[in-house]
Amino acid sequence: MGFLGPNGAGKTTTIQMLLGVLTPTSGEIFYFGKEFQSSREKILENVNFSSTYTNLPWELTVKENLTYLSYLYQIKNRRQRIEKIVKIFRLEKLLNQQLQELSSGQLTRVNLAKALINFPKILLLDEPTASLDPEAASYIRHFLLKQRQQFKVSIIFTSHNMAEVEEVCDRVIFINHGKIIDDDTPQNLARKIETCHVELNVADGLKRTIEFCREQKINYKLEGRYIIVDLKEKEIPQFLQTLMEKGVSYDQIAIDKPTLEDYFLLTAKKTYENQ
Amino acid sequence: MKINRIYALFLRYFFYFRHSLDRMSDAFYWPTMDLLLWGLTSVYFRQYLPKGSAVVLMIVSGIVFWLLVWRGQYEITVNLLEELWNRNLVNLFVSPLTLWEWAAAVLLVGLIKGIVSFVFASLVAFLLYKVNLFTYSFSFLPLVGLLIINGWWVGFLVAGVIFRYGTKFQTLAWTGVTILSPFSAIYYPLSILPLWAQKVAALIPTSYLFEAGREVISTGVLDWQKVLTSLILSFIYLILSLIWLKKSFDYILAKKGLVKVF
Repeated sequence: MGFLGPNGAGKTTTIQMLLGVLTPTSGEIFYFGKEFQSSREKILENVNFSSTYTNLPWELTVKENLTYLSYLYQIKNRRQRIEKIVKIFRLEKLLNQQLQELSSGQLTRVNLAKALINFPKILLLDEPTASLDPEAASYIRHFLLKQRQQFKVSIIFTSHNMAEVEEVCDRVIFINHGKIIDDDTPQNLARKIETCHVELNVADGLKRTIEFCREQKINYKLEGRYIIVDLKEKEIPQFLQTLMEKGVSYDQIAIDKPTLEDYFLLTAKKTYENQ
Repeated sequence: MKINRIYALFLRYFFYFRHSLDRMSDAFYWPTMDLLLWGLTSVYFRQYLPKGSAVVLMIVSGIVFWLLVWRGQYEITVNLLEELWNRNLVNLFVSPLTLWEWAAAVLLVGLIKGIVSFVFASLVAFLLYKVNLFTYSFSFLPLVGLLIINGWWVGFLVAGVIFRYGTKFQTLAWTGVTILSPFSAIYYPLSILPLWAQKVAALIPTSYLFEAGREVISTGVLDWQKVLTSLILSFIYLILSLIWLKKSFDYILAKKGLVKVF
């Protein structure tokens, strides 16, 4: 599940409440059918978390960190589990290095190893790939998807990379000012933005195209011989047919369907305007 | 309370100790320097005192015993600060770890390091001044235990302040316990304090212990009345400090969350 919202929306606050490091002013939190405060220890044995705003002890080596964490979460078969997690996150060569010697990408991998050390049933990740290069970020995303499928881990995920959220999440909650604005699949949220961008490289009839857009009050933007037109998806065939009838010819066409990012930008803009 | 979680934190602080020159020097360097400085000063003063005066023993035992109080407090507060400096506090408390398990772990670390420092300082005292604190081992044992407990309650008191107000009060982590020192009669008898200070000292459990320690050295007899008074006061303060710690922890969870404690 993706957890989205503009800065100050309450994502981190919500995650903190879900982890028990901030007490809610009202309401209750339930995990696995149990009330959180009264079953905190039992619940947190099955939950874990990784974030960019926390660190593991810098002076300890990777191995020392994983060792003490394995005791903290009462892991059975500690050694095998640590070996496995080290392999998954490619930490073999870093085991005896102190965290303060690692790059930010390596640190993210260690943080994720920490987050998965107890086989959590629920994993809260706050921008887990923020400091990773594209290859490492992709590896981590695929790993998370595999974990989700293989071990039925529920992942609550915040990120400012919308393409990543679309790839990893099958449900997205959009919040602002601590309130849920939307709750749907990434695809359905994107579909709520009806406007597509149609980009045409006009070989002949650019003037006629502009005139037609003005007549029909269609938003457009010019970039050399390219015209970018904002249209609803269902209006595109009619629009293209009309251009043909007007003798307009184009040799390139690209249709950008709305994405989660468009939805995010529009919703964030609306909520700012309503403030 | 789960032993494995207490052990996990014990390991975390032990690993850190191995890597930290600061902690090594706190454990060994400073006690040695204190013993050298004050021990030699007392050796110098001994020349002007009647023969047979136990001034060196009293000063050196004062240093070694105060080390126990200081160490008990220091391990609680500085280990908390370590978590804040590392931004690791949240990682600890999003695990099943409870506040009491954290407290038990830092007590355990403090106890072990306190004993190590005590034995080390006693050996240094013996090597430098031929002062053998273990001669009085049976009489000193309850004093040693209570001194460590006094470090704990000050430690929890300061930890509560740090939880509430963050690192702007971090200097208390090193210095908190020193507020007790003038009233504890570490190196001098209570009788030399002004009357108002004697009244304050009557509320400080460590004052009874240092007085009792000096009596053991001079008469060979342990005043159990003083030990009992100190025991009662120490436990009252320990309970109050634990209540304060819990209230501060809950306060910060309710007001701004552990993420914002720094």
